[in-house]
Amino acid sequence: MASLSENPSPSAAALLREVAPAKLDRPVLVENDRSFSWITNKICGIIEERTPLWWWVAFCVSGFVASFCLIGLTYLVATGTGVWGLNNPANWGWAIVNFVFWIGIGHAGTLISAILCLLRQKWRTSINRAAEAMTIFAVVCAGIFPLFHVGRVWFAWWLFPIPNSNAIWPNFKSALLWDVFAVSTYGTVSALFWYVGLIPDLATVRDRAKTKLRQVCYGIFALGWRGSNRHWRNYEMAYLLLAGLSTPLVLSVHTIVSFDFAVSLIPGWHTTIFPPYFVAGAIFSGFGMVLTLMLPLRAIYRLEDLITQYHIDCMCKICLATGSMVGYAYAMEFFIAWYGANPFESFAFVNRAFGPFAWAYWIMIACNVICPQFFWFKACRRNLVLVFILSILINVGMWFERFVIAVTSLSRDFMPTSWGYYSPTVVDIFTYVGTFGVFAVLFLLFLRFLPLMAMAEIKAVTPRADPHHHGH
Amino acid sequence: MTTKTITSPSIPVAAPGVFRGSTALGIGIAGIAVWLLGALLNPAAAASAWLISICFWTALSLGMIFFIMLHHMFDAGWSTIVRRICEHWLAVFPWLAVLFVPLLVLSILEPGVVWKWMAVDKLIPGTEIAVGDDLLYQKKSPYLNVPFFLVRLVLYFGAWVAFAHFLRKFSFAQDNDGNPAHTLANRKLSAAGLFVVGFTATFASFDWIMSLEYHWFSTIFGVWFFSSAMRAAFAALAIICLLLVRSGHLEGIFSTKHLHDLASLMFAFTVFWAYISFSQYFLIWNANIPEVTFWYNVREEGFWWPISLFLIFGHFLLPFLFLLFYTNKIRASRMIFISVWILLVQLLDMVYNILPTRKLADGSVHPFTITLWDGAAIVGIGAICVWAFARSLETARLIPIRDPRINESLRHHE
Repeated sequence: MASLSENPSPSAAALLREVAPAKLDRPVLVENDRSFSWITNKICGIIEERTPLWWWVAFCVSGFVASFCLIGLTYLVATGTGVWGLNNPANWGWAIVNFVFWIGIGHAGTLISAILCLLRQKWRTSINRAAEAMTIFAVVCAGIFPLFHVGRVWFAWWLFPIPNSNAIWPNFKSALLWDVFAVSTYGTVSALFWYVGLIPDLATVRDRAKTKLRQVCYGIFALGWRGSNRHWRNYEMAYLLLAGLSTPLVLSVHTIVSFDFAVSLIPGWHTTIFPPYFVAGAIFSGFGMVLTLMLPLRAIYRLEDLITQYHIDCMCKICLATGSMVGYAYAMEFFIAWYGANPFESFAFVNRAFGPFAWAYWIMIACNVICPQFFWFKACRRNLVLVFILSILINVGMWFERFVIAVTSLSRDFMPTSWGYYSPTVVDIFTYVGTFGVFAVLFLLFLRFLPLMAMAEIKAVTPRADPHHHGH
Repeated sequence: MTTKTITSPSIPVAAPGVFRGSTALGIGIAGIAVWLLGALLNPAAAASAWLISICFWTALSLGMIFFIMLHHMFDAGWSTIVRRICEHWLAVFPWLAVLFVPLLVLSILEPGVVWKWMAVDKLIPGTEIAVGDDLLYQKKSPYLNVPFFLVRLVLYFGAWVAFAHFLRKFSFAQDNDGNPAHTLANRKLSAAGLFVVGFTATFASFDWIMSLEYHWFSTIFGVWFFSSAMRAAFAALAIICLLLVRSGHLEGIFSTKHLHDLASLMFAFTVFWAYISFSQYFLIWNANIPEVTFWYNVREEGFWWPISLFLIFGHFLLPFLFLLFYTNKIRASRMIFISVWILLVQLLDMVYNILPTRKLADGSVHPFTITLWDGAAIVGIGAICVWAFARSLETARLIPIRDPRINESLRHHE
């Protein structure tokens, strides 16, 4: 039996004759039986229409907020990293917290584009483009913090394994250097993936262009796409390969980020569950952000037929699943901190829950473990205002998770004489708030200039694309 | 089981020549009899053999229950026919619960023979300290004590038997009445079940395996157990399905597409197992704190060192490379080979986790051995599982004929 027969044996045939499936329809992914041209007009319309007023308002506000980041960083470079609230022993404060926060957000994009693609989850088509854009912009925001934490930012290239004039190499044993490779690989592959997926849609925009400039600009990036059979074959193969290559990246990046903490000897940091726990948390926060972005866009652009309630249900359920995985990891950490019977480790956890940063710990538990439990209920998933609020709370919780990990363990280390309280400075706060401006500016530009959804892929999952449509 | 009534006698649902229940029962009883002889002659060796075996088969069965629950959570289509094979397999859980009893009997007859923390007045091998005087044991005793252990054991098997029972019940009932409500019920059951089975499986792995060396701890251990469970389940599923194709029962139903998808999942969980095992090893090695490194240090002594290396190459690299290739994933003979390989090395991984904790009297690590009792326990428990599975095949159909997604699975072309 080298290969499996296609023809049923008599007993199998008898069994097959009995098959009479119960009726339980799959939810449609594009509602109201929208046609292909409707989808094209809808998505292209977003970037072809006159720039709406709200966009300009949002853009100006975001640009203003982004300037906080610029000012904060300029001040830091001019003065020194001492302007951040880092001290001894809390050598890591908001900088690492913000870095991990933003890197985590990016993970939903890669999960949607890579893992959900391999798992043949067709509902991904409506949200993958925006989520991938979000990934890239989040990586940009994340990169700011370690980059400027080196102090003399013009020497940041020393992080790469290039021997400088003093023959100084980076420390290959440091998890922070692994971050450099992990994050830069992640950024590169995510951008490539995003771009490859964009090509057919860029060609659509090119073909609809009313001005020469527009036609040339989109034409350059569409790489001469004509939609021929051969183009599609190559495209699909490239997409599948990139999906395969990106899948380990979903795990590896946040695994390396978790190593920043877990390879140390600090109680509360050195624990073996950190890699999968960080990955689950990253996907959790990423889906929180996808919901935060997509729900307003759905309302503004009237995209209810493309981002259906089913899509929102799916995203909520992924939040519930990953949030519960994070809850599982908290439980394991706490149980083993007790079971391990190491007084330092148990102290670290009791200190988290009841020490001076207990307020942060309980915000984290409430937002990360309790909030997603609302998504068990259909009524909650259908209440979009509630979903929107919960999605924001998820990211509040995930920021506090990194804060709790980084700060509680450091501010009360092995030497009680050096214990203290960690507070950020104004520069910390402004720089961090500013990164939201940077993120928003980039996302708004994406909205204006690139198709928000993968039109070609959505068309393939419409009821009309099914050859058995209309009962044929 | 009330499901017996729904079988139409004209349909040959059993699989003669493949899973002959009576033969399996005979082999199982013979295996257990041989093992009982071992329990009389060498209780310590027999105890670890039985523990290795029960952990191996329970992990495999837990993998099946996880797979069913994931199928429902994803509202998957292609795996519908495979899911039914898992549902038949779930019939093993009550028997696994019964087969756990010998470990308890041994622990009563000779306290500490399986889990040394159960004998508080015995000396820790190689030391002059009794377990009860060990500070680490004293700290952990609120968790590691016999009554609480038994309570947890009942909870674990109670949860698994209950979820297995209801998942089977609803699915089999649908064959009869074609009511989609059964699918929805199983979906709800699965959502809750992933939580319950996830936590119970984690703590079972702590209780049965991690607590063997009660000084040692690792927060990722439950995830390691989960990854092993999934790998074993996929390997077993591929073998079962291919044997049912060979016997003609699934011929023309279970296609290369299903095989390819199963193989892809095997590949994914091969990588996942390696990821989890690496995370545990790497973080312990890198931090180099003696309170946890000793667990790996003893596994670098003697023949355990080549075993450690073999797990890297045999349990990760070989299946990884093998399952990368499309042609290997669609050929029945090659998939049988790699599935059997994965199951055997999975068994070795269990041995690697369990046996070195059995210290010799002078405190040195127990050498790598394979005894007759190991073989008897593995075959004995395994054959009882196959018997329970074969019995279940006679009570319900081989594919869920009225499942709402059955046609997607039968016309699986993607």
